[in-house]
Amino acid sequence: MRANPFRGLSAVARKEVKHLLRDRASLFMAVLMPVIQVCLYGYAIDFDVRHIPAVVVDFDRTRESREYIQRLHATEYIDFDTRADTEGEAVDMLRSGRARVAVVVPPDFARNVAAGRRAQIGVFVDGSDSQVSLRARTAFLGVQAGSDVRVTTTSMVDPRITVLFNPNSRTAVFMIPGLIGLVLQIVLTALTSSSIVREREQGSLEQLMVSPVGKFGLILGKLLPFLVLAAGEMLLILCLGYFLFDVRVAGNFALLFLLSFPFIVGSLSLGLFISAVAQNQAQALQLSIVTFMPAMLISGFIFPRETMPGFLQLLSSVIPLTHEVNILRGVIVRGAGYGELWPSFTALFALSVLLLAAASAKFPKSIQ
Amino acid sequence: MNEETLAIRTTGLTKRFGEFTAVDSLDISVRRGSIFGFLGPNGSGKSTCIRMLAGLLLPTSGTAFVNGFNVAKDPESVKSTIGYMSQSFALYKDLSVSENLDFFGEVYGLKNERLRKRKDDVIELLAMQPYVDRRAGILSGGWRQRLALASALLHEPDLVFLDEPTAGIDPVARRDLWNLLFQLAAEGKTLFVTTHYMDEAERCDDIAYIHMSRLMVRGTPIDLKSLPEVSPEGTRRLAVECPSPALGLAALRDQPFSLDATLVESEVHLLVHANTTDEEILQAVRAAGLDDVSIRPTTPSLEDVFVSLTRSLNSP
Repeated sequence: MRANPFRGLSAVARKEVKHLLRDRASLFMAVLMPVIQVCLYGYAIDFDVRHIPAVVVDFDRTRESREYIQRLHATEYIDFDTRADTEGEAVDMLRSGRARVAVVVPPDFARNVAAGRRAQIGVFVDGSDSQVSLRARTAFLGVQAGSDVRVTTTSMVDPRITVLFNPNSRTAVFMIPGLIGLVLQIVLTALTSSSIVREREQGSLEQLMVSPVGKFGLILGKLLPFLVLAAGEMLLILCLGYFLFDVRVAGNFALLFLLSFPFIVGSLSLGLFISAVAQNQAQALQLSIVTFMPAMLISGFIFPRETMPGFLQLLSSVIPLTHEVNILRGVIVRGAGYGELWPSFTALFALSVLLLAAASAKFPKSIQ
Repeated sequence: MNEETLAIRTTGLTKRFGEFTAVDSLDISVRRGSIFGFLGPNGSGKSTCIRMLAGLLLPTSGTAFVNGFNVAKDPESVKSTIGYMSQSFALYKDLSVSENLDFFGEVYGLKNERLRKRKDDVIELLAMQPYVDRRAGILSGGWRQRLALASALLHEPDLVFLDEPTAGIDPVARRDLWNLLFQLAAEGKTLFVTTHYMDEAERCDDIAYIHMSRLMVRGTPIDLKSLPEVSPEGTRRLAVECPSPALGLAALRDQPFSLDATLVESEVHLLVHANTTDEEILQAVRAAGLDDVSIRPTTPSLEDVFVSLTRSLNSP
């Protein structure tokens, strides 16, 4: 008798759907995880730091010094709520964390401003949080002292900057598209990573192996239901992003799904691979966590790849999430199409084929 | 006997894992419609052998024909014509009885009307009507085994492998299951059963006993009991009935005339030199303070058979 490698595909797929629908914990994770992540990353993470608490030590005590502080305050980046009498006291406040920035206005401030000289002030910035210190430093750049607000720049070049695609530099626009990739990988890899190992633990794998079910019938039967889940997951995050944060898809909606297809297959294959090599379900879960932690850090999802050392950039280029984040930001934020994104798509495609091949190779040998 | 009358025939069937030989040149044949008891201690190679016969493992050497198909060359045909009931419950606990049957039926290629018919048949055979919509996970041990058997019978296999089918189920469920097995055998199915229970071994038509990867002995229970190694020349087997069998065993076990002693139900079973007199035995028992003792000749049980064979192999 000739073996049909696809035998049992639809039976396995329908069985997996039943497993999924009855496994409350997994279903909960699949639905709640995107909601929690979108809210966390959307609301909590804002690289546009504002209202940094600051302390002022004003030795000048003039109208000019008060006005200058008032202008800084008006930017909303720095809040001058507290005062100190000495420099030492101000630095103590930085150390205790009650203030992040201390501004010391020297006694000759107003005089210098009036004379048109460069008026110096001392600024202490808490460097323990680089995001905050960076923003605090830049906050001082645009604020001038005295009645002559428009002080000419010393540079002869006058850059007119236009920010494209995300003109207000909103963090949600940056985070949500990448988040789709991260959530897809976590949910899909975690769910499939338990699938084979669970069958092995409960003994049903042996029962399947003595049956004439085909190898691809089993593999594809296990993957297909998750493809549908993945599409649902993407849609869910896009909806959350749209309704909560007004993140719109600038490019082609259908293209977004099409270009993400290899990433979905890759994540599922990675899960199956883990499932085939893991000894038990706990180990499978740990392994899947191990795979997405570095992906999250070096894929460019949070930190720009450009700032990474060369070997990390190289490493991140073999991580599927890197390319998926590029595709998602390309289509959603920049309105890019296949013409622009094909290098990422091709890389993803190759990586997915590799992962699927690895998963098939590691699959229980007795199923032929 | 030829392929027509044999469900399984192996010749020199061997499986090695690296240096370790799990099954060593096994020759067995199983008649169609018989209940074949496959016995042996844990780790003796039973499971490896079943896995080869079920088309899961490729033999290292030797051949095995199952239902007329060569397991090495045509495992798919083997798989389609056998049923397999594993040692532990191997179906899906989160699916109902009916869904489990649907799934395995479809995997074996049953569809629509035919699937429905076969499902009804096995549900009726195993009297599972009240449980069809129950999740397998909440069934008791005995009913789980019935479900596993139902699932193994769905595609009408000629041969069913049952790996310790009664391990961990209660005595009533055990007897019910054996009655079902007899019924299946009467309908012409071949049953290949492994068990550690000697009373179950007694119920088999043929027995093979393997030890340390090798076939030690095979035959009907009656054949095995009359093997010369079991009751060597110059010995006889006796059953000693006394008020406290445990004390009796302690008194008799270390006597010079006693070659083997064990408890069977409430009697001490003894293997003694043929020239040992009843009086010597009575004296030994009475010395332990036991009266009201009777002695009668007895035949070896299957347990005696395997214990004596294993000992004779282990001692040089």
